[in-house]
Amino acid sequence: MSLLHIRDLNVQFHDKEKGQEAVRHLSFDAAPGEIVGIVGESGSGKSTAMQAVLGLLPDCAETVCGEILLGDADITPPLPGESRKEYERKMDCIRGNKIAMVFQNPQTSLNPTVKIGRQIVETIRAHSHCSRTAARRRAAELLDMAGIHDGESQMDKYPFELSGGMCQRVGIAIALSCGPELLIADEPTTALDATVEKQMLELFRRIVQETGTAVLFVSHNLGVIASLCDRVLVMHDGTLAEEGLVEDIFYNPQHAYTKTLLARAKELQKLSACRGDQKKLLEVSHVSRCFAGTGGPGRRDMTEAVRDVTFHIRRGETFGLVGESGCGKSTLARMVTGILAPTRGTVLYEGAAQPVRPGKQNRRVQMVFQNPYASLNPRMTVRDMLEEPLLLNTDMTEQERREKVDSMLTLVGLDPEEAQRYPRAFSGGERQRIGIARALMLEPGLLVCDEPVSALDMPIQEQILELLEELQDSRGITCLFISHDLNVVKRISSRIGVMYAGSIVETGHTKDVYNDPWHPYTKALLSSVLVPDPVKARRKKGMPHREEQKAEAFDAGGCPFAHRCGYALECCYTDRPKNCRFDGREVACFLYSEEYTGKRSRGYRMTSQI
Amino acid sequence: MGRYILKRVLVGFLALFVLVTASFFLTRIMPGSPFQSGTVSEQVLSALEEEYGLDRPPAGQYVVYLGNLLHGDFGMSYKKPGVSVAAVIGRAWPVTAALGFLAILLAAVFGTAAGIWQATTEKKAVKGGIFLGTMLGTGIPNFAIALLLALLFGVKLKLLPIAGLSGVANYVLPAVSLALYPASVITRMIHNTFRDEMGRDYVALARAKGLRWRRILLTHVLKNAWLPVLNYIGPAAAFLLTGSFVVESIFTIPGLGREFVTSIANRDYTLILGLTTFMGAVVIGINIITDVLGAWLDPRIRRTCS
Repeated sequence: MSLLHIRDLNVQFHDKEKGQEAVRHLSFDAAPGEIVGIVGESGSGKSTAMQAVLGLLPDCAETVCGEILLGDADITPPLPGESRKEYERKMDCIRGNKIAMVFQNPQTSLNPTVKIGRQIVETIRAHSHCSRTAARRRAAELLDMAGIHDGESQMDKYPFELSGGMCQRVGIAIALSCGPELLIADEPTTALDATVEKQMLELFRRIVQETGTAVLFVSHNLGVIASLCDRVLVMHDGTLAEEGLVEDIFYNPQHAYTKTLLARAKELQKLSACRGDQKKLLEVSHVSRCFAGTGGPGRRDMTEAVRDVTFHIRRGETFGLVGESGCGKSTLARMVTGILAPTRGTVLYEGAAQPVRPGKQNRRVQMVFQNPYASLNPRMTVRDMLEEPLLLNTDMTEQERREKVDSMLTLVGLDPEEAQRYPRAFSGGERQRIGIARALMLEPGLLVCDEPVSALDMPIQEQILELLEELQDSRGITCLFISHDLNVVKRISSRIGVMYAGSIVETGHTKDVYNDPWHPYTKALLSSVLVPDPVKARRKKGMPHREEQKAEAFDAGGCPFAHRCGYALECCYTDRPKNCRFDGREVACFLYSEEYTGKRSRGYRMTSQI
Repeated sequence: MGRYILKRVLVGFLALFVLVTASFFLTRIMPGSPFQSGTVSEQVLSALEEEYGLDRPPAGQYVVYLGNLLHGDFGMSYKKPGVSVAAVIGRAWPVTAALGFLAILLAAVFGTAAGIWQATTEKKAVKGGIFLGTMLGTGIPNFAIALLLALLFGVKLKLLPIAGLSGVANYVLPAVSLALYPASVITRMIHNTFRDEMGRDYVALARAKGLRWRRILLTHVLKNAWLPVLNYIGPAAAFLLTGSFVVESIFTIPGLGREFVTSIANRDYTLILGLTTFMGAVVIGINIITDVLGAWLDPRIRRTCS
């Protein structure tokens, strides 16, 4: 007996920009208590289909559907042209009550000026007649169920006072408030950090066990789908490419598209080859950066975004910097490029300090930005954008510049003919290629890539990473690669640094760090990596974690990770651990220091202490 | 929050001081003397100027004026013997305040309603009609509107009085002609902010929660859409005060605006200064109030301030 029954769902947009993001002939069923994963690239119509089920699409979307049944209730949307009045009235009792939805971005999907308690209470009271106090009591229960244990006190907070993970828990509490039969989750973990994502997936699994609700889980991340779902729908170009049990889809895919999708994901699992020589190109030593806190000049509470960071990058290698949002990765990148001056410490490029005045940056260090949609000027042609650095820094003739732009576009895999076009004519991946070409115009020695692929789809990510590798082989460029995505960093870097709350806690060769993490935080981070393999993903056990905490929430003394660390010693709360070095590997943890774990003989080989 | 208010008030006083200083010296730069007219002889003129202290250097006069101002003394009118500036203001301000308040209220209520209607309706004719209305409202100067309204409702239809101040009905035409411009601006702002807010994720979530559309608009969207509009109320108040100069003259209403116009024509220095200071204080005060209100209504500011 199926709970949701969809036959022949079609959605067409009458809006030029979204023309292709339509759904064609989609039919599927979902049983009670089942977790159905819906996977596909962006633009494959998976979110559109989910919104069509709830009737949430804007007016420019035309929905033609054979049949949508929820249990016994017929919730087929009216054909275009028919009156929506009756349908809307019917859906008012379905939405939030029988079918609830969790959205992608937890912080924007809550009203910023309404207390979270009220946002839950109003949902409860919209569907059942109960008093305000009863609804509040129920809201506290719901928050507890969603993993927020002091619900009563949290209810008086506003969304901006909570972290992303907490906001998503509130979103889940809202979705659960009327005991829905079906929960539609549209990329609910995409905007969250890896460790939080892992916890969120556990929460979803627990909710299904406790309440028996069915879940439609939309995600582009195969790892998430593999570790959570019972059954998977693969969507491609608005149609259903393949449908089957999670094991069948992952181990025995039939459709060509599923096969390529999985192959791409497997590519990302590979470890990067070692490159680079022994000469140091960039040396960052004891660098800190403070920012003035809020509260005006009267209250000078400084926030230390980066604290006493030391690392080096060898010529020709890719150094990966990985850490959760807010840990100071981008601040560090901006100090490396010379946009920001460090408060303390030095950044040496080829032995010389970085000039830190606006407009006087080191031309040998260039940057590739995260968002390829926002980092290109929409009013400039590609040629103008690429020529700009040459005009500012060199005295090439027009002919030379033209040739340089053409050769650079060919190098990044674009057609020089397209140089006259504006950024909007290009897709996300192509735009990022333009961004890379722009960074390469001045033949830099070091390329700083700040989350260059996190705004892109998985297959495109792989293409961009391959491009970066090719460039490295052909031009010998050194790369500082920053990302929150462990899979991506592992794929491209020969050495990595793990950052937590402004400090680098562990550095080493990628292979060593991934196979045998030493620092407790590295281990926690690695245990939250989701692999696109259902059996492995489920076998993996998470670290025992404590309450979720903001990464910046640390005080002056002690190890920043001590409050979340399961191995914390007494000294971890009072002293900062020093960097302990073991050939090619550095770890900032007391478990590896001689003072606290005793003297070692000369030939001692350090292994993981955790 | 207390710090924030204190800071705003201090900056307000500074602004007021700058205003007083600038307008004091501007009046002194104006050519001619308040007592100059065809029939006054040189001797009488210099005697009068000496009596009022106008023969002293402007810097000295400024210090004296500022000292008096600190005691709350606006001085005596030069042109109306025996009448103090404070008395003129005291008599005229309730009229202008009532008119201005009425106009702001009209603008806020009708602007908000029209803006919401324009943003939410699906009827193209309504959208276009409101858009045209706001175009006209912002494009036509208020004295022209005042004259048109007076002609239509006063002279032709004889529905409403167009001169004097004998009853509540006298306020209608001037208030409407003053309110039209801010109402149009508020309509446009609400229309824009409403459309932005309706596209936000939290509205989608509210719909997915099963809240009624009308409820979403009134409880969730309206507050967020109004926050930016609140910042416009301060400048609107300033606009209404300057607008009242002309409108009060047209409808012969004995308010601050008309006093202002006659005082400038008469070169009544103390009255000009007194009125400028008073109106400046009012505008600055309204700005502070709306800023504080905006900060208090927006938890993102309120919570981080305290």
